[in-house]
Amino acid sequence: MKIQILGTGCPKCKALEANTIKAIEDGALDATVEKITDIDQIMDMGVMMTPALAIDGEVLSAGKILNKDQILALVKGGR
Amino acid sequence: MACSCSCGGDCKVTLLYACSGAANTGLLADQVARTLSTREVGGMTCLSGVAANISGFVVSAQEADMNVVIDGCKVGCGARIFKEKGLPFEHAVITDFGVTKGETPITAELIESVSDQIAQRIA
Repeated sequence: MKIQILGTGCPKCKALEANTIKAIEDGALDATVEKITDIDQIMDMGVMMTPALAIDGEVLSAGKILNKDQILALVKGGR
Repeated sequence: MACSCSCGGDCKVTLLYACSGAANTGLLADQVARTLSTREVGGMTCLSGVAANISGFVVSAQEADMNVVIDGCKVGCGARIFKEKGLPFEHAVITDFGVTKGETPITAELIESVSDQIAQRIA
């Protein structure tokens, strides 16, 4: 599984990235994290609010700093 | 202040969608959305992306503080897309501003006038 963090590098984006790494560790997920910071790539995915989170290319959240439990819920079927 | 990106800020996120249909009314809807976007009343994004169920567009519409759908005429294709997907929106229809479909010339003055009226309505 590839979890993508979309954001240009602001504190909110970094917070979401940190929470995602924690979710992967605590949930023992077989997942990699990819940071997407290029605004053109972010816009190409239709995201108008960052930070955003996508799993395997599907955007599941935008404009929110999800916490660890929210990320785990998305991974485990809240999609 | 309205904006289209919440990254690093706490401003209100307003997204603008235009039907961009084939008639003069669609042209005006498109031009008004671009004008409002330039004025930073909101950020213009793609209605067709929402219609096509591209996840980034749909999630952005779900999470925006306000979505403004500008349709050209009473057919209301944009509004139908948003209703079908259960997305909240404010609606503006170009023919409600004294524009006749297939007849009224689209001028710079008309674009500014309709933009002013929609900006006031959603302020």
